[in-house]
Amino acid sequence: MNKRRWIRLAIVLAVAAVAAIVAAFASTSAHAGKPTIVLATNSWEGSLANNVVAQYVIEKDLGYNVNLLTIDEDPAWPAMSQGKVSAVLEEWGHSNLYAQYIKGNHKVVDAGLEGPDGNIGWYVPTYLMKSHPELKTWKGVKQDWKLFVTPQSSPKGQFLDGSPSYVTNDTALVTNLGLNLKTVFAGTEAAQLTEIEQDYKAKKPVLFYWYTPQFQNAIYKFSQVALPPWTTTCAKLKPAQINCAYPPYHLYKVMDANLASEAPTVASFIRRFNWTSDDQNTVAYNLAVKHMSNSAAAAAFVNSHKALVQSWISSSSKPTKIEPPAAGT
Amino acid sequence: MSAPTATPLYLADAVRRLDHRLGAHMRWAAPIAIAVPLCILAAALEGIHSGFPSNWVLGVPRWFDDLDNWVTNNDESSFFLHSVVGGFGNLLNSATNDVVHFLHWLTWVGVLAIAVTVAWLVGSWRTALFSALMISSFGVLQIPNGGANGISQMWPSAMTTLALMAVAIALSTIVGIPLGVASAVWPAVHKTLRPVLDLMQVLPAFAYLVPIVVLFSIGNPAGIVATFIYAVPPLVRYTELGIRSVPKDVIEAADSFGSTRRQILRNVQLPLATQAIMLGLNQVIMMALSIVVIASLVGAGGLGDPVLAALQTEQNGEGLIAGVLIVFMAMWLDRTSAALGARASRTGPTRRKLTRTELVGVWGGLAALVLVCRYGFGLGDWPAGWGFSLVDQATNALNWLTDRLIGVTTPISSFLTLHLLNPLQRYLYDVPWWLVAAIVGTVGWARGGWRRGLLLVGCVVLLGLMQAPIGYTFQGTVSYNFSAWADAMQTLSLILVALALDLIIGIPLGIAAYRWRPVDHVLRPILDTLQTLPAFVYLIPMVALFGVGNVTGMCASLIYALPAAVRATTLGLRAVQRDVIEAGHAFGSTRWQLLFKVELPIARPYLMLAVNQTILLVMAEVVVAGLVGAGGLGLDVVTGFSRSEVGLGAAAGLAMVLMGIVLDRLSQSSPERTQHGGA
Repeated sequence: MNKRRWIRLAIVLAVAAVAAIVAAFASTSAHAGKPTIVLATNSWEGSLANNVVAQYVIEKDLGYNVNLLTIDEDPAWPAMSQGKVSAVLEEWGHSNLYAQYIKGNHKVVDAGLEGPDGNIGWYVPTYLMKSHPELKTWKGVKQDWKLFVTPQSSPKGQFLDGSPSYVTNDTALVTNLGLNLKTVFAGTEAAQLTEIEQDYKAKKPVLFYWYTPQFQNAIYKFSQVALPPWTTTCAKLKPAQINCAYPPYHLYKVMDANLASEAPTVASFIRRFNWTSDDQNTVAYNLAVKHMSNSAAAAAFVNSHKALVQSWISSSSKPTKIEPPAAGT
Repeated sequence: MSAPTATPLYLADAVRRLDHRLGAHMRWAAPIAIAVPLCILAAALEGIHSGFPSNWVLGVPRWFDDLDNWVTNNDESSFFLHSVVGGFGNLLNSATNDVVHFLHWLTWVGVLAIAVTVAWLVGSWRTALFSALMISSFGVLQIPNGGANGISQMWPSAMTTLALMAVAIALSTIVGIPLGVASAVWPAVHKTLRPVLDLMQVLPAFAYLVPIVVLFSIGNPAGIVATFIYAVPPLVRYTELGIRSVPKDVIEAADSFGSTRRQILRNVQLPLATQAIMLGLNQVIMMALSIVVIASLVGAGGLGDPVLAALQTEQNGEGLIAGVLIVFMAMWLDRTSAALGARASRTGPTRRKLTRTELVGVWGGLAALVLVCRYGFGLGDWPAGWGFSLVDQATNALNWLTDRLIGVTTPISSFLTLHLLNPLQRYLYDVPWWLVAAIVGTVGWARGGWRRGLLLVGCVVLLGLMQAPIGYTFQGTVSYNFSAWADAMQTLSLILVALALDLIIGIPLGIAAYRWRPVDHVLRPILDTLQTLPAFVYLIPMVALFGVGNVTGMCASLIYALPAAVRATTLGLRAVQRDVIEAGHAFGSTRWQLLFKVELPIARPYLMLAVNQTILLVMAEVVVAGLVGAGGLGLDVVTGFSRSEVGLGAAAGLAMVLMGIVLDRLSQSSPERTQHGGA
């Protein structure tokens, strides 16, 4: 190691830095032509099912490149407002983000309803419901809390929640309904499902947060526990005071406000994209259980639903209805 | 991987500090004399309540929420945000894209040939062969059915990760080495930088992901900045240490020849510090690779994506294969950079240096090869047909293992939860905050002087004050009760148990590796894998075995920190001087007598350092516990990230940092002040 060697190293580094900067500018100016469409994939399989079909149609029929980006629900909104994500095809609630980005700074636009209605609630495996019919309502849970005691929640019963990124009122519900339960967040849906599967195999009792549409419902038999019915008065309560069931969710689509000018045919497609829970479950099942590739699962659906797909890309059909999420969801 | 070679410098420094130890018994008298009456006073004034008063609130979450709102509303009008931050982000993004394009342009033959040649030049033919194997795996191991993200070929993902690493490492080098030099030269810089580096190392990556996304949006720049923050501290520290540890007489000699300060730095100190700087770089590479998956959470692509997608869709086999590829990339880069470091310091096996003509020939040949492959044969990425899938085998193996083991693991998990973790947690909940503060303060004072004691008491109180006021509604609509103290105690229980198990398993393994060479050879690759395999890969299979909750949460930390415990023990024992051991032999001691009477006692300070390093690594990984149901600060931080609750994520992250500072300073076995004045 001598002086000359250091000087040489410095020169190499300097040249590399200059080259990188020049190349950086060169590559930014080189972007031209059609923009790449980025669809945000949230952490549930249904979200992926929406996206693979949309990707297939946009690439085959509209001629744009599509990337799927795995990202959580909340961070997808700022990303959309900055043009990093083009659209999200399934939103659950998020009235706060709706107010901030759609009504507030107008950087995101509502692209109408997706079709399926989302239903969040408390569930137990059906084998448990059969042996303990009182679990049909939350009062049965109040009575039978001992069934759900695990080492983790001991001495209370365990309420198994999923990903902390999902919409949940469960901690408030447990307190306000006076249940002797402890909410345990599995942290991710995969962890939650793994836990449920192990219990299911061993036919053990388990009480958990779950929702439809969900393709796993075709594999496992779960039954819903009725909570006190949702009312508009209950919807006005503060999050910590909520004491009723989850509201019905009309799932909707959102997109980057600039998409209509940057890729008008794609924006028009997203406004018209609309299908049913069954459609989504079929595709999700093919992806997750039959291990079909994204394009194969999408092609199978598109080829068997030609008229539906045509209505998404034809400009003469009507865009889907716009219905903002209920307050507090 | 890097730890074994890296530790001696750090150790030597610590041992020097240890020599300055004050009279051992007197150190405890004064702190206890002050702490006991204060405790009695606190008990009298406040009564003996468990935990921390819920109405003592600073409102930290709200500060960060307000800041976040300001940034969201001003990102276009503010010059700083729009031009400086945005421009920097664009620069990183285009640099990464350029490297990606370049790697694809090189064709797979080119990438392989260049990597193998570099490995051969800096190392030996064995390094070269190893590199070839590791790189081929990116093409050979495939995920056939597309995985959740539609990826079947792993080669492009591997190239993206390689490009992200290249840019993140370049950024770390450009910033880290000058900072290290400045810190060694000017004490003021050292003093300012030290707490900042501490913060960067202990702050969980999840806690700064949200602010990074707010500033840089999602994508490559966010991933690179997160990697940089996580990976740069060791480089700064090693550079500084390297320059500082240049012997005084060498500098004096240069001085007496009339060299200026700048000349001394450039011609004497920097060259002599090369080995340390290389070790730092090696560490940067390892740390950067260990957060590939976390970088994917903010939209940086690459090998992290399939791991994340597999985690989210429960395709454990796919996750395992993608995770193994990350390990292979880490091993390849580690071996190559370690060989480079050994060469730079001339400690490694030396081979005849190639002459300039030979070098020109080698590189010219490579360039010709690339051009022929690219334009002659029209090659591109690794051919799709040249590979196979082990996904089904991996999935089956995991399922088979789960089915066999579950009968054993479920009772173990219940036992650990019911009889160890839950009671410990309840106990920690019940201790009044002032008692914790008093104990921490006393130990801190005894070990590092009254300043350190005071600092630690301050940290404990501040930790409690991080909480949100009762009923504070975070930005979103979520109802979330953030009690920093209770959550910290829950996390602390996981840390303590993981630490204890690491030491119980790690120290004997370290001794075994020291005594018997074959054990060392078998352990090395296993430890390497444990250190770089992303926790995300084994979290879900572990949930199947141990269930959602504390035990699984603790395991991630346990596994991540175990290699450090083993290695520091082995190194400590190796550092015991030969002549001492020979003297022992001469007195007729048996091997085991020697171990327990001579080697282990002498290695004690090193073992204390092993404890310290293990604590820091356990801390670094404990957030992951939040992803598998262990709750505590980990869940707060993860919730803060996944719901974009900036205030929650930041306050919980800071609480984690405060806890980290306390545990770190408590486990540092000698007074700081003998070295730099002040804790």
